[in-house]
Amino acid sequence: MPTEYRKDLFADERSDDFDIVGKPIIRQDILGHVTGRSKFYDDHAFDGLLHMRCVRSAHHHARIRSVDSSAAERQDGVVRVLGGRDVPVNVNTLLSLINFGRDDEPLLAIGKVGYVGQPILAIVATSVRAAQEAVDAVKVEYEELPHVLDVEEALKPEAPIVNEEYPNNTFDYFDTYDHQKLRFGDVETAFSRADHIVEGEYQMSPIEQAPMETCGAIAAPETNDRITVHTSTQALFFSVGVTAKQLDISSARLHFIGGTVGGGFGGKVDSHHEPLAALACLATGKPVKYMWDRAEEMQVGGPRGGERWRIKDGVMRDGRIIARAFTGFFDAGAYTRLSSYAVQKSTGHLPGPYSIPNVASNVYCVFTNRTPSTAMRGFGITAVDFAIERHMDKVARAVGMDPIELRILNAYRDGDMKAHRREAKNCALIESCQAVAQKTGWSLSADAMRASSKVGGGEGALGVIPETVTDDEGRIGERRRSGLAPEPLSGQGTRRLLPEGYSSNNSSAFGNAPQREDMEAEIERLGFKGATVVSSTPQGPADQTASSARPIEPRETAHAVHPAGARGGPSLPAAYTQRPASTINQPIAQPPERAPGTPVVQQPATPPAAAEAENESAATHFQRGVRRPGVSRFISGSRRR
Amino acid sequence: MLEVQTYPTVGEAASAMDDRARFLGGGTLIMNRVNYGDRRFTRIVRTTDASLSEIRAQGDRLEVGAGVKMAEILASRDLDFLSPAARAVGGPAIRNMASVGGNLMAPHPYGDLAVALLALDADVRMVSGEEMSLEDFLARRNGVVRSLLVRRPQGDEFRFRKVSRVKPKGISVMSMAAHLTRSAGRLSGVRIAYGAMARTPVRVRAVENALEGVSLDLAGISAALSVATEGLDPPDDPIASGWYRREVAPVHLRRLLLGEDAR
Repeated sequence: MPTEYRKDLFADERSDDFDIVGKPIIRQDILGHVTGRSKFYDDHAFDGLLHMRCVRSAHHHARIRSVDSSAAERQDGVVRVLGGRDVPVNVNTLLSLINFGRDDEPLLAIGKVGYVGQPILAIVATSVRAAQEAVDAVKVEYEELPHVLDVEEALKPEAPIVNEEYPNNTFDYFDTYDHQKLRFGDVETAFSRADHIVEGEYQMSPIEQAPMETCGAIAAPETNDRITVHTSTQALFFSVGVTAKQLDISSARLHFIGGTVGGGFGGKVDSHHEPLAALACLATGKPVKYMWDRAEEMQVGGPRGGERWRIKDGVMRDGRIIARAFTGFFDAGAYTRLSSYAVQKSTGHLPGPYSIPNVASNVYCVFTNRTPSTAMRGFGITAVDFAIERHMDKVARAVGMDPIELRILNAYRDGDMKAHRREAKNCALIESCQAVAQKTGWSLSADAMRASSKVGGGEGALGVIPETVTDDEGRIGERRRSGLAPEPLSGQGTRRLLPEGYSSNNSSAFGNAPQREDMEAEIERLGFKGATVVSSTPQGPADQTASSARPIEPRETAHAVHPAGARGGPSLPAAYTQRPASTINQPIAQPPERAPGTPVVQQPATPPAAAEAENESAATHFQRGVRRPGVSRFISGSRRR
Repeated sequence: MLEVQTYPTVGEAASAMDDRARFLGGGTLIMNRVNYGDRRFTRIVRTTDASLSEIRAQGDRLEVGAGVKMAEILASRDLDFLSPAARAVGGPAIRNMASVGGNLMAPHPYGDLAVALLALDADVRMVSGEEMSLEDFLARRNGVVRSLLVRRPQGDEFRFRKVSRVKPKGISVMSMAAHLTRSAGRLSGVRIAYGAMARTPVRVRAVENALEGVSLDLAGISAALSVATEGLDPPDDPIASGWYRREVAPVHLRRLLLGEDAR
């Protein structure tokens, strides 16, 4: 079928040179792949290569009473048996490299196992077979513990503790809550005036990435006391960092070679093989390969995590969705890996590509005795998108409306305010719906055909951050003690009212100036024409179509005190107020009057002028290119293209 | 450790077999297990005996050596009736190595050729010289097979169909074979066999009985279609669930019997 370009759409916003879709194009790595010349990690041959296999947990959850490897150590071909005590820094969490979360996962388990297949010992031998036979000869005595495999069961007070670092079975957000909150507007009031309430629950299973080449690494001694590691990792520098940390050596001693992943899809970021292979290389002085077989890849390879989503919509008779509440459970398995981040990613995505003036969500990163889950193509987004779109169809049935028209009616338009307090830009859902309807012979009403992403955006209340009800429910440990329901605003926590226009991160509701000039998107290079690059701090009236930065005008404030606000406690949750003042450079609305004795919301400390000066100085000491004597300043000057 | 033992005759090889040994035919099943570190066996036994690779006429039957490869069946004029089943096995590389004897031993959901041979009422000749029906052999599946003995079907009375999601190299959702013998224009003594619908390829007696004496048209076979999976408990596996296999079996049986094209 010939490709049809709809160049009539957004013609004034886009350059006309898009010509890739629909044409055969040579992948940059395909010649090597089809001629068999691409070298994958397993293609690197070494004399005297040793092989590593792991002794793995036979139980979902058990205390390890004893491990007896004496018979294994005596077997032919066995070179070394490594346990958790041989790893200099045994416990790690992947995102510790960016300071997110606490170390919670041992490279080799000591004392306790949290999922079937968790590695306990790593055995290095002269052949795979010898290593496997040695694994068979290891005797592990377990004391089985009760286990939990369901996310909501894990939240209950009586559930066993999966991960000692997080004894409430939930990841701690902002050192305050057992979940990630999103509050925008007032869903409770909106539900009470909605014509229909539509609820749904959606469950997605874990999915294995199933790469063609199973995960693995070969570590070999190099000159000058360095180690060369050939690896299938998708995250080479991440793996270097993790290996350096867990082996407690300088990353300068690690020479990592990757690039040919052998199929990743997110499943090769966990940096588990590199530290183990490198550790064995250090311990034996020989090249060592640690490679999963297919069964291990399926059983212990981190999958896309299972997710459960509950959605509650308040819908008017005409199909307008006026409120949407989410309760999400992300099954992290026994350890955090990247699930904590997936939860935040999904929260940033809510409520989907629709303008809904009242949104609330509680999303939980839950520990269960399953294989720890990790990245996979759009993780954090895919499942909730599936849930949202199934729910849109359900809403359409509830109000007796065409499902495509319902989407067009509620779609983001340019200028609408999103729930995470940024203005919607370059919206195209309406046009996509119209094109799909046209191509499939689906008839739409004249209104729906006339609709445009560029018309009607930000009208009325849809363009501003509404007055927002917040709460402090679900503080760390509270739910497990009291059995509090997981839904947003379901308990008796302290309600607070944030004034209209208030953005908790105070950064860029309307696109703040980037910290550094270099971070400014070069709009014309992204394919948008009619836009000139805007200086980092807007001055005077900005061209609204071109500018990515638009200051908030101080608003007249005459908001009535919300009833919920009256019974409010003394202060906002820490997550809303613990921001360094220097990042705040927008004047915000005055908060509404409060009951006597109630402290005022933290005010921005930096006046606009000071903020500008700060941005300017940031711009001067960072420029593109390299400025070192004798080095062309263009040597690394082309960051894009 | 794993040991490989090679014997000049199949008889010697057979006597070297025990629980901890596996007989290597083409290796498409065994080497897979070796690569995955199967520790249930410690010896691989093979033979260089050329007689295992012979195809020859014996009375009114054809004797096919257990070492004959799928590719050799495809190249043989005498065995052209087995071509559809042999071609259904793997891709060219697998067909160059996969042997007739190995196919009889293949675990679910493999073993498409055995389904065809079962419908054709083939017999198995063991290395000891003992002969038994393929059906009896599949019920216990042990020992070393020397050859298969099969009669050539007449005209268009033999049908084979493999159902897979991936083409042309997919694994069976199911495979089906029918030997539609007639008497006075009506079906009589029909044999129907399924693959991937039970632990081993199986005959489906309920269908065979329902086809006795009927004409080969939609009305005639409707009773047979309604009992298409009677007595079977198809397994769940990554290719298809047992439920799915049960649901679609009548459709594929109808296509097989009436020679309909599957799109």
